[in-house]
Amino acid sequence: MNPSSSALASRPENEAPERRRARDYDSPVARIALRAAGAGILLACWQLTAVNGVFGPGLPTLGATGGKLATLMGDPGFWIATAQTIWLAVLGLAISLVAGVLLGMLIGTIESVFYATRAVTEFLKPIPPIVVLPLCVMIWGPTNTMALVLVMIGTVLSTTIQVIAGVNDTDPVAMNTARSFGMGRMERLWRITLPSAASYIGTSVRIGAPAALIIVVVAGLLGGAPGLGSAIYRAQAAGDYPGVYALVLVLGVLGLAAQNLTAAIERRVLHWHPAFRKVEK
Amino acid sequence: MKRHAFNLALAVATPLLLVVVWYGTSSSSTNAFFPPLRQILSRFADLWLFEHFTSDILPSLGNLVVGFVSAVVLGVALGFVLATVPLLRAMFEPSLHLLRGIPPVALVPILITLVGFGNEMRISSIMIAAVFPTMIATIDGIRAVDSGLKDVCTVYQLSKRDRLLSVYLPSAGPQIAAGMQVSLLVAFIVMIASEMMGTAQGIGAMTLLAQQTFMAADMWAGILLLGLIGFLSNLLFDLIKNRVLSWYIGSKKMEKVS
Repeated sequence: MNPSSSALASRPENEAPERRRARDYDSPVARIALRAAGAGILLACWQLTAVNGVFGPGLPTLGATGGKLATLMGDPGFWIATAQTIWLAVLGLAISLVAGVLLGMLIGTIESVFYATRAVTEFLKPIPPIVVLPLCVMIWGPTNTMALVLVMIGTVLSTTIQVIAGVNDTDPVAMNTARSFGMGRMERLWRITLPSAASYIGTSVRIGAPAALIIVVVAGLLGGAPGLGSAIYRAQAAGDYPGVYALVLVLGVLGLAAQNLTAAIERRVLHWHPAFRKVEK
Repeated sequence: MKRHAFNLALAVATPLLLVVVWYGTSSSSTNAFFPPLRQILSRFADLWLFEHFTSDILPSLGNLVVGFVSAVVLGVALGFVLATVPLLRAMFEPSLHLLRGIPPVALVPILITLVGFGNEMRISSIMIAAVFPTMIATIDGIRAVDSGLKDVCTVYQLSKRDRLLSVYLPSAGPQIAAGMQVSLLVAFIVMIASEMMGTAQGIGAMTLLAQQTFMAADMWAGILLLGLIGFLSNLLFDLIKNRVLSWYIGSKKMEKVS
């Protein structure tokens, strides 16, 4: 009794300094200051390497890249390319989502379809869309259609697999309740299976959004489809190195925005779901 | 039981049927984009079996392996440091998330400007792009180490080294493995992309060249080979992962049963 109570008593003392330190880093001012310092150190490393000319003209200075970034901001062509990139990614992802939900419900609810398609999906799952890029370029050329098809190819399978998992995860009690209420097959699909799979669909959007953006960039960079990808390719081919860096930084911001935005949308749309309820408070 | 056998038969028969249908319907195809499967397979045998095996397949795979392995080592090491030193994590984690947001393939043109078109460019592109998934998974995995486990470490007065190697690393293992699997996929994508940008060597370059010269059968052969490599590398990773993490998979099974 005695040793255990003393151990319990000593625990908070032991943890106190560590916790206090952690709280220091968590205060808003400290967090912003530390982030700025971290980013500053990385930027300083970049600047030093560039000024010393370790990589020759291949690594532009911060000033040159920042200047190029500012010029891009005033260039309507850049905004058109950005809008095109985002639009292709969103449209492709939306089509994949609809197709993936339909396919996933079909495969997930009918057992024989599940077994019949299993080997094919398992084989195709680890193959990235860049593998079929040459085929798409051959058929559609360097066009928006090619990029769109590539985005669909790249995201439809992962959506389908997520939805199948969601359908399999349906609560059997809820299903039996619905059945005893006399709901028909379609009504059960709509009111039980689909909401059960909702969090899995949310996951697939969160994974799919950055993936779709990446695929549009790949389609532009390697296949010549319009958008930021081909802008990078042109800048690189023309020896406009600050341009390459500025565009890649823009892509980094876009990628980060895609991740955070989809996570926020998921939280908002699925606020009723058990997985998000505890986050809400 | 009968139903089970039927499902199994279905699972085996469908892919075979698909291949047979592809072979049959394409056998007299004159479509420029979809040549007969027979022709694709014969080009596959001509191109990849032995003729370009040492000149293109081996260098590609070598870059993939070297880039991936160094990315994993670097990712786990950096992840460990960032997860265990709160000051560094507070400083660099936001910047890392910005860097992670960059599409991996967009790093290829940057690396080309820095180190040219050689093999070093390909390996370093693969490494830099593939480091992020492993590193982030390592950080998250170590942060998620059960606080009870940490208390036990303190009670047993484990040294820092023992703590890291025999408690934190195995505890974060499953998550690190998941990150490594994503890294492998990224490495594979960047391997292809680095070959498709302006070089003449490697499977990706050969496939893109075939497309640009409208050699449809050669291009299909390249797609088949790349697909096979993607599938087999993932399969190999799964086998190794299941062996290394067998203790974890076993404990999950026990949890499910109980």
